[in-house]
Amino acid sequence: MEYDENGVSIVPSEFKKEIFEEAKKDFRYEEYVRGCLNCGVCSGGCPPHRFFDFSPRIVLQKMKSKDPELIWAMMDEYVWACFQCFTCAMICPFLNSPGGIIAILREIAVRRGLESAKKVLKPYSRVLLKLTAYGNQLSSDMIQPDFFPDWGPHIGYASADLAIKRKAIPMPTLQVTNLAWDVAPEAMKELYDIFDEAGVFKIIESVDPSLYEIIEDIVDDVRNS
Amino acid sequence: MAIEINNRMGLAGVKSDYVHVAGRKLEDIHERLLELEAKGEVKVIHVKEENKPIEAETLLGWKKKIPTNKLWHHKSCGQCGNIPGYPVSILWFMNKLGLEYVDERNQTSCTAWNYHGSGTSNPVGLAAVAVRNWHRAYELGLFPLFHCATTFGDYKEMRNMLIEHKELRDEVKRIMHKIGRELVIPEYIVHYSEWLHVLRFEIAKLKKYDLSNVIVTIHPACHAYKMIPEDCIYDKEIYGGKRTAVSTGVALALGAQVADYSTWYDCCGFGFRHILTEREASRSFVMDRKIRPMVREAHSDLCITQDTGCTTTLDKNQWIGKAMGYTEQIPVMSDVMFAALVCGADVYKIVQLQWHTTDWRPLCEKIGIDWKKSEDEYKAYLEELRAGGKTVNLYEYPKE
Ligand code: SF4
Ligand code: SF4
Ligand code: SF4
Repeated sequence: MEYDENGVSIVPSEFKKEIFEEAKKDFRYEEYVRGCLNCGVCSGGCPPHRFFDFSPRIVLQKMKSKDPELIWAMMDEYVWACFQCFTCAMICPFLNSPGGIIAILREIAVRRGLESAKKVLKPYSRVLLKLTAYGNQLSSDMIQPDFFPDWGPHIGYASADLAIKRKAIPMPTLQVTNLAWDVAPEAMKELYDIFDEAGVFKIIESVDPSLYEIIEDIVDDVRNS
Repeated sequence: MAIEINNRMGLAGVKSDYVHVAGRKLEDIHERLLELEAKGEVKVIHVKEENKPIEAETLLGWKKKIPTNKLWHHKSCGQCGNIPGYPVSILWFMNKLGLEYVDERNQTSCTAWNYHGSGTSNPVGLAAVAVRNWHRAYELGLFPLFHCATTFGDYKEMRNMLIEHKELRDEVKRIMHKIGRELVIPEYIVHYSEWLHVLRFEIAKLKKYDLSNVIVTIHPACHAYKMIPEDCIYDKEIYGGKRTAVSTGVALALGAQVADYSTWYDCCGFGFRHILTEREASRSFVMDRKIRPMVREAHSDLCITQDTGCTTTLDKNQWIGKAMGYTEQIPVMSDVMFAALVCGADVYKIVQLQWHTTDWRPLCEKIGIDWKKSEDEYKAYLEELRAGGKTVNLYEYPKE
């Protein structure tokens, strides 16, 4: 990696071009990027547009510009502002999908292990671990008051005496605390095979190598059980 | 001075014959699926007589057969982990209506929440997970019913992609072969809210309380009606067919007043990643764009949802709102939980409102539900379980 006089890394223009080419050859690209009126209807309905320097209209305009520099400029925190609600896709008069484009760009960001993606996803690792290692992603024992202080004092209810409260739920699948439902090991093993074949494990390794090591250990244990 | 709009009447009960269709001519994906089946390219999980289907209309006037019986529950991580009364209320109604179903351990997450939050998957991964779970329902001879709106949105998208792209089909077939399964696609992708919608008049017959003075506001789920919008139920008798009919339909059938508010189309602020790692954005959105308009404009007693993330986001973020001067508060629960409550399901053992953060007791009192009795009985029940007692289940695993 080369650096400028201020110590900021210089990203070669070839690399930026590669990123754009990668997005363009995605089979969803043509479906998501059509004509754009620059009308801003999408941004009017976009939730993060109210809070961040983020606009689906800009996303479409930059894609239409075909300028790798402009597209590269979105690969930092910008693409991570999107809520993935697909309001834009529903209301765009040209049936573009700025939210869909964001999904493609995020996939590229994590596949290539970009620093910005690593940074943004660091606090998300608990969810990644749960999902990839056990097959569902939100368990009742994740709702802890110290993690969700802004959810108020009642949130403590969800962690106190959890095992008995879960046992009282009248569905046998739900009577566990460490998973959302009790996933059968054979289902987990099939999921691991899918993750292997679809390259999902590889993506996680590139975006969070130390998390991947933990996941690998759990996966090995389940596979050998 | 804040503008206060008193808009209790809303549009919910407006009838219309006019269907507005604009944009590109969409092909009916259902027909293309059947063509692929005829060519031997895919297997289809058909809606059969035994599924006791009820027909509904989608946005473009296409017919959608909603199976009501012999269903395979595709559960939601967020519901099962955090809002257990959500799936329990669904099963409670199925028992009440004498319907057959299986709820088992052999199911994975759809993985779509994670994908939309982190980007750490791809169409092949998402489609293979979808087909894996569809195939599990298929081998049991059941029709899959999806509890989560993100699952519903994602699976609609995966179904379309699988039908439209042979390369994706071939790749998923290869992976299915590896895990001993086949490429199967359900004839229709069905969300539980659609199941509830088509059964709303049956359900209304079970009603125990008068709701004529209860005002509700609906929060429709983005991933239900904004992802593949053409495959979502619309009804000319509800909002004049201009907005998706699910949830509103059941609230009207139960006799509640459904009030309108100006930010009906807005998302809840969940954001998939934001709810966990950028919570101030989610929180501001909840209070400014949803709860405040629901209370100020519609004087709502309750916010009714149809999905996992919205129920959590809208319920959990109101407490901190108070500290920031947002005095508006309303309980939040899904359409099926509200329906169960009104049809006499136990507040604690079935609807499980004890996990919710925003106070729901005033609503129970307004409806005439004795929540205190239910709380006392639940506490005694927990003691029994602590002493080694057995859970009274709604369902037992099928015998192997
Ligand atoms: S999907 Fe993303 S870009 Fe589109 S409206 Fe939602 S948040 Fe905005
Ligand atoms: S993407 Fe669509 S809605 Fe957004 S500015 Fe372009 S034409 Fe308008
Ligand atoms: S969308 Fe629903 S089922 Fe899928 S991962 Fe999320 S909570 Fe779980």
